[in-house]
Amino acid sequence: MNPLQRLRARRREREEPLIDVETIPRRRLTIVLAIAVGLASLPMLITYILLILTSFSNTAGMLTISDLAHYVPTIQPWIDFLEGKVEPTAGHLYTTMEILGIILNTLIVAAGVSIVVVLTSTMAGYAFSRIRFRGRKALMQLVMILHAFPGVALIIAVYALYVWSLAALPPSAWNTYAFIYVILSRASLEIPMSIWLMKGFFDKIPWEVEWAAIVDGASRIRVWREIVLPLVKPGIAALSIFAFLAGWEDFIYVWVFLKPRDIYTLATFIEEQVRNLETAYFPVVAAAGTLYLIPTIIFFITTQHLLLETYAGGMKA
Amino acid sequence: MVEVRLENVTKKFGRVVALRDINLRFRDGKFTVVLGPSGSGKSTLLYLIAGIYKPTRGRIYFDDKDVTNLPPNKRNVGLVFQNYALYPHMTVYENIAFPLKLRKTPQRKIDEKVHEVAKLLHIEELLDRYPHQLSGGQQQRVALARALVKEPAVLLLDEPLSNLDALLRVKIRAELKKLQEQLGITAIYVTHDQAEAMALADEIIVIHRGVIQQKAPPKKIYEEPANLFVAGFIGNPPTNLLKARLVDGAIELGGSRITIPARLPRDGYIVVGFRPEHASVDAEPLENHASIPGEVYVVEDMGKEKILTIIIGGEMVKVIAPPTAEFKPGDKVYVNIPYRRIMLFDPETGARIEA
Ligand SMILES: Nc1ncnc2c1ncn2[C@@H]1O[C@H](COP(=O)(O)OP(=O)(O)OP(=O)(O)O)[C@@H](O)[C@H]1O
Ligand SMILES: [Mg+2]
Repeated sequence: MNPLQRLRARRREREEPLIDVETIPRRRLTIVLAIAVGLASLPMLITYILLILTSFSNTAGMLTISDLAHYVPTIQPWIDFLEGKVEPTAGHLYTTMEILGIILNTLIVAAGVSIVVVLTSTMAGYAFSRIRFRGRKALMQLVMILHAFPGVALIIAVYALYVWSLAALPPSAWNTYAFIYVILSRASLEIPMSIWLMKGFFDKIPWEVEWAAIVDGASRIRVWREIVLPLVKPGIAALSIFAFLAGWEDFIYVWVFLKPRDIYTLATFIEEQVRNLETAYFPVVAAAGTLYLIPTIIFFITTQHLLLETYAGGMKA
Repeated sequence: MVEVRLENVTKKFGRVVALRDINLRFRDGKFTVVLGPSGSGKSTLLYLIAGIYKPTRGRIYFDDKDVTNLPPNKRNVGLVFQNYALYPHMTVYENIAFPLKLRKTPQRKIDEKVHEVAKLLHIEELLDRYPHQLSGGQQQRVALARALVKEPAVLLLDEPLSNLDALLRVKIRAELKKLQEQLGITAIYVTHDQAEAMALADEIIVIHRGVIQQKAPPKKIYEEPANLFVAGFIGNPPTNLLKARLVDGAIELGGSRITIPARLPRDGYIVVGFRPEHASVDAEPLENHASIPGEVYVVEDMGKEKILTIIIGGEMVKVIAPPTAEFKPGDKVYVNIPYRRIMLFDPETGARIEA
């Protein structure tokens, strides 16, 4: 190689990484990943789509891909479902369930869990983040361990406590009490993780921002309301949705505490239908399943932007 | 505008003593700079004045009013934090308006004042932005605007320029000084940058490990440092400090004996100090100078001057020479220090010995 060629070769070497390193391989990787994830989730996606399509059809069983050729959409199954006509006998559907009540029950449990979780973990998270009290570290570790306990393992103790405490109440209050009990026990499973989540959000707010507001003339309550809360709003929103879904999807607690009192939620309702699957009318069950999915879908659409919405600026590291 | 006074103030965090028995007076309408290295207790001092911290012992006065137990929101101080601490979820306008809103100022008046202070600090065109959309220098101005808008009795600034680049720092520094003079406000400014302190201060307070080392105007701090710490901290390059033996009342340094017109103990040790810009390097000893023989070690050409590192009796000193000086490593030279520029310190206490 003569000197000129060598120089050119060196310059090529030097320039190429400038164009390549940052952009192209990463983009390629992203595409490969997207295809892989897409392929892997395809079966599940198809199942969900078939479920939704079934709920708008009048086939006797579950739709299959080959049925799609002669698919005729109808909303009859949804009407039947909402009217509670879920029991097929001799080719007819009979009203056996108060569906709107079931939806309401599910909403009560979900909203209740959400409210309890948000209230307690926001306050506890703030305390863990801001106050250096004795035993803080041990308590935080304990909270972590609590999170690791499976909810099923706890249910025996929780049930014993329930039976024992029920005896102290008049029977007229038992239904309400069962609701409260489910909400509290379900919420307590969510609270440990939520405390950690909220602590993380509070940790991101420098002390100085709170002090600045106090020096500017704000009272403690005002600082909390106008500075701290708005800054952790994305956290609270995400938390309330997580907790709502946990309540909405809960099966074991509503099954143990509410079902024996003949109080159904969507989870226990669907379970009941699935148990009689041979005789069940599929489109109606599919409608119930689809309704059950809706919060998750809404959650998916809303949280994405919520979790990305963080305030970064205005504070030096 | 008030005078701020601290009387016997001590602040402890657990067992850490952040400030020890501080007695200070910050004069009304003056620009006082608190200067000290990292961890010396500067922020703590400001937070005490602002009321964010309460002193462990001692009292704080604004004029004749004892504010020791007054909460921050009742003190009417403006505080610019080390990290600005802007409200991230508010626009620049809302940030600046926040203190006024808390005072229930009518909206029309708020609008007027926010624009006035924004104009003063050249941030009018930024009012609709959020803090994260601003550069460091702009955030700093917003923080300053928020502190000024409520017309505080005292303006407290905690290293407000430390995150800016060198050019911007020098520029804003001058603006800040001008602004304080215009408003005639009592300003207390904290920094670890001695050049900043010299440039801004009517009076400098040097603090180290929570103890006040010296309080004096910049010129005096520079020329008559009270102790070894102040001498070593102020100046760039810092003061040369050499430990020397006393023999029969003369100072033995680098193999030569210097007699200076001062009353010294007959024997023992002493620390000799001189500033790099006060000595000269020559081929021969000079009249009326303390002349110490040495050898040139490194020559740094800074353009407007040369910084020579010279070895004297095994220790290195720095001397500033004119850009025309022709020295190279290995040259045998004399470091000549005018007698009146020599500073002497007690090696035990660190205190300066008055000649
Ligand atoms: N909240 C606190 N808890 C415990 N120790 C503290 C606290 N705040 C400050 N200190 C200690 O007090 C001393 C002085 O701290 P301070 O923040 O006042 O220093 P500083 O001069 O502002 O330093 P810098 O230039 O790094 O900002 C340090 O030793 C620090 O570790
Ligand atoms: Mg500090």
